[in-house]
Amino acid sequence: MKRIVWIILVLLFSAVVAKPVKLEVQWYPQAQFAGYIMALEKGFFSDKDLQVEIIFSDGNDEPVQKLKNGEIDFCSAWLSTALKKYDPQNSIVNIFQVLQKSSLMFVAKKSSNITTPTDFNGKRIGLWGGDFVLQPTAFFRKYDIEYELIPQSYNIDGFLVGAWEVASAMYYNEYHKIYQAGVDEEDLVSFFFADYGLNFPEDGLYCKLSTLQNNKEMCVDLVEAVQKGWQYAFQNKEETLDIIMNYCYERAMRTNRAHQSWMLDKIEEAYKYSGSENEVEPGVLPIGDYYRVAEELKEQGFLQRIPSYKEFFRRIVE
Amino acid sequence: MKKVKKPILLKLLFRILVPLLVIYGLLLLFTYDRNKENALNETKKYLQELTKYNAEKLDKEFQQIVQASHSIKNFVETAMPITDEQLFEFTKKVVKADDDNIGSGIAYLPFKSHLRKEKYAVFTTENNGKYEMKDLTELYNYLTEDWFQIPILLQHEYWSEPFWGRASETLLMTHSVPIKVKDETVGVSYADVSLQTVSQLTKNINIMNGYSYIISKQGTFIHHPNAEYRMNETIFSLAERYQRPYLRDLGQKMIAGESGVASYKDLNDDIKKWIVFTPISSTGWTFAAVIPEVEILASVNKAILNQSLIMLLGLALIVLIIIWVAYGISKPLRKLTGLAGEVAEGNLDVKMTGIKGNDEIQMLAEDFNSMTADLKQHINKLTKTTKAKEAVESELRVARQIQESLLPRIFPPFPDKKEFDLFARNIPAKEVAGDFYDFFFLNETQLAVIIADVSGKGISAGLFMAITRTLLKTVLNETNKPDIATAKANFTLCQENESCMFTTMFLGIYDLPSGTLEYTNAGHNEPFIIYQNGNIKKLESDNEIALGIMADYSYHAQKVKLGKGDTLALYTDGVTEATSPQNQLFGEERLLRVLQQNVDSKLAELTDKLTQQLQDFQAGNQFDDITMLFLRRNS
Repeated sequence: MKRIVWIILVLLFSAVVAKPVKLEVQWYPQAQFAGYIMALEKGFFSDKDLQVEIIFSDGNDEPVQKLKNGEIDFCSAWLSTALKKYDPQNSIVNIFQVLQKSSLMFVAKKSSNITTPTDFNGKRIGLWGGDFVLQPTAFFRKYDIEYELIPQSYNIDGFLVGAWEVASAMYYNEYHKIYQAGVDEEDLVSFFFADYGLNFPEDGLYCKLSTLQNNKEMCVDLVEAVQKGWQYAFQNKEETLDIIMNYCYERAMRTNRAHQSWMLDKIEEAYKYSGSENEVEPGVLPIGDYYRVAEELKEQGFLQRIPSYKEFFRRIVE
Repeated sequence: MKKVKKPILLKLLFRILVPLLVIYGLLLLFTYDRNKENALNETKKYLQELTKYNAEKLDKEFQQIVQASHSIKNFVETAMPITDEQLFEFTKKVVKADDDNIGSGIAYLPFKSHLRKEKYAVFTTENNGKYEMKDLTELYNYLTEDWFQIPILLQHEYWSEPFWGRASETLLMTHSVPIKVKDETVGVSYADVSLQTVSQLTKNINIMNGYSYIISKQGTFIHHPNAEYRMNETIFSLAERYQRPYLRDLGQKMIAGESGVASYKDLNDDIKKWIVFTPISSTGWTFAAVIPEVEILASVNKAILNQSLIMLLGLALIVLIIIWVAYGISKPLRKLTGLAGEVAEGNLDVKMTGIKGNDEIQMLAEDFNSMTADLKQHINKLTKTTKAKEAVESELRVARQIQESLLPRIFPPFPDKKEFDLFARNIPAKEVAGDFYDFFFLNETQLAVIIADVSGKGISAGLFMAITRTLLKTVLNETNKPDIATAKANFTLCQENESCMFTTMFLGIYDLPSGTLEYTNAGHNEPFIIYQNGNIKKLESDNEIALGIMADYSYHAQKVKLGKGDTLALYTDGVTEATSPQNQLFGEERLLRVLQQNVDSKLAELTDKLTQQLQDFQAGNQFDDITMLFLRRNS
């Protein structure tokens, strides 16, 4: 009898503590979000008494805006995206920088005789919209390139049939899709923005400053669970891929395991990347990269005032 | 008939068939690889043709879509400026014309439409039997869509990769063509075909129990029996996942528009399979048929089996020929063997018939036939001769009977004469004897006893003997002197004795009352007198010559007196010269012993005993006439 009372008390307590937490990532399920998915699937969230719901964006909504609106509790977002939306009145903070290295790149076929950035002059260049244009814009300015911009859809067909010579690509995604369309790597020329002084760290985990202030414990628990999720994903890739492929299958996504495997590998590289400038730890936003992105955003008129690094990034776990 | 231990057939079969089998076997072994390769090449060609045929069939469906977008383009280019109504009517007609066309329309570059709107894109489709023209701009920004952007950038028609069509809410491929008005590109016309249609068309293609698939220009599986592959995997993603570099090479050939054949282990079941691929020309896709190698090898093996069967048939034919040839040889030989057996049993009327071929067998048959003919002729001759001989022999038998009847045969010859006993026997060597004996009374008291031996034997000797006997009887009618009678007979015999025959003779004239024997011995064996006391005396003579040699020879007579119980023994040389199988002569000694031992025996008994002894001695081989005559004085 005593036991049952205890169980009921614990359950009641759990119900109070384990409020549903909404975490939105910026795209459909794929290996890019393996850490979150594995934290959920392996029960790392529930271990911390966190009841997390992962929301996958369809690319048409804006998770950062939804975060600011209070529709969700946490979101994954590019550094540039989050910075652009920075509002001192309604602050959002980076509590975990997932990807240290930018995977955004330009890719061209060797056959189009493009070997250096200056060769881009006069070529048709496929560009995605939104935050994907920040680095290219800086790149073109840096190398003084005149080009014909082609609004690029989220596939590689135009590039493959030669409708445009240079394509925007994510190293972990489109670059490999080109490979999976039968183009060998040695027939391609790659331009990683990170290699041209334009490393814009991408995915990070964000929440409202108020959330952090009011419920730091929960934030710490969440970050720790996410961290554990990533570590688990990198250490158990086959299991991770099984789960990711299931997610993809449930959502009728057009992908394949080999592609997700490549993505997981490249995400791991970006997760563990340490720039030459300064040693960085996984999860910590490098200060140099932060200010580079912020300066560029200000330069391009997207940011009036650069928030301080400490204002923006909060290291809440060791 | 005797059983043949190693028949010709078996020998021929063994000596021809075994080497042939070895040669055939080696031939099969050495040509197997090449035959297999040939058969494989044939199968390859066949499969390529079949794959090409199916690809072309699919291509026809796509050609209709291509035509649809082209006809809209042409309509727009020539009918510009047009109204929405005109456009709807035309696109409706186009969509209606082809069941596989799920929707067609046009899309303009900004401000290039006939209405000069910033965005203008329409899509005509059928919905529950009703055709309607939808405004695409309400659905999404078509300007960045591949089907719109790429053909304009490339300045030529374009088949899109499959994508989710938001207007028709299905996976589809779009064929679009840039529209040009006065050398200025204003937009595209397009026609859609659903992925389901492609799958439906491809699903029904079944090549040799395999499966078929279609990959896009990017290697994406547009159709594959494994639904999970469709739109998810590319041939390259599979190569990557299963680490099959050759599959990547193969995929690159496919998307380059090549056609060919390759073999590999299937990813799904690890079974070796062949892949035959060929491009679908309008879309730039690749149609591929995957066939289990066992299916192909089965057809290849079938071809090789057919070849082997033909070879076996040839062998069987050779066996039949061998049997035919062997039978052709052994059948007449067997017949010949049988006939030879019959010949051996005496049937000479057999003849080998029905042998043709002008070969050794025929020669043998002819020789056999001439041999039996010769044999038959010979035997006929022999039969005739034997018959003739038998005729002569029977005549000789008659002659002997006559001769026998000539010799006195009844003993005792003179039963009323008790003064003496007389017993004689003649055993001729041949049917007609040359020996003879005779006795007859010259008068009341004088008895003539004669024993003679004619030179030679048989008829002539018999005849000579008959003459001599008759002659003696005649001359003894005229005289009772043995020397005179002998001389007379000799004289007569010498006349006309062209065959120069002669006869030895002992002639005695026995005087019954006195017991005196007056005798002449013309070259005959000297007789014996066996006295009653057992003493023996040889009747010496003067070595006078035989009758028939010298006509004027004068013979001499001698006298001897027989006492009571004394026996005169006359004999011819057939007795003393009787020969044993060991070539020993009977001789005088044996004769004298018989005579001495039978001093007291009756003459018939003596004669029997001597005859018995002679026959035992000769053991059936009598070469000369045996004649003996005994005379014993009783009182």
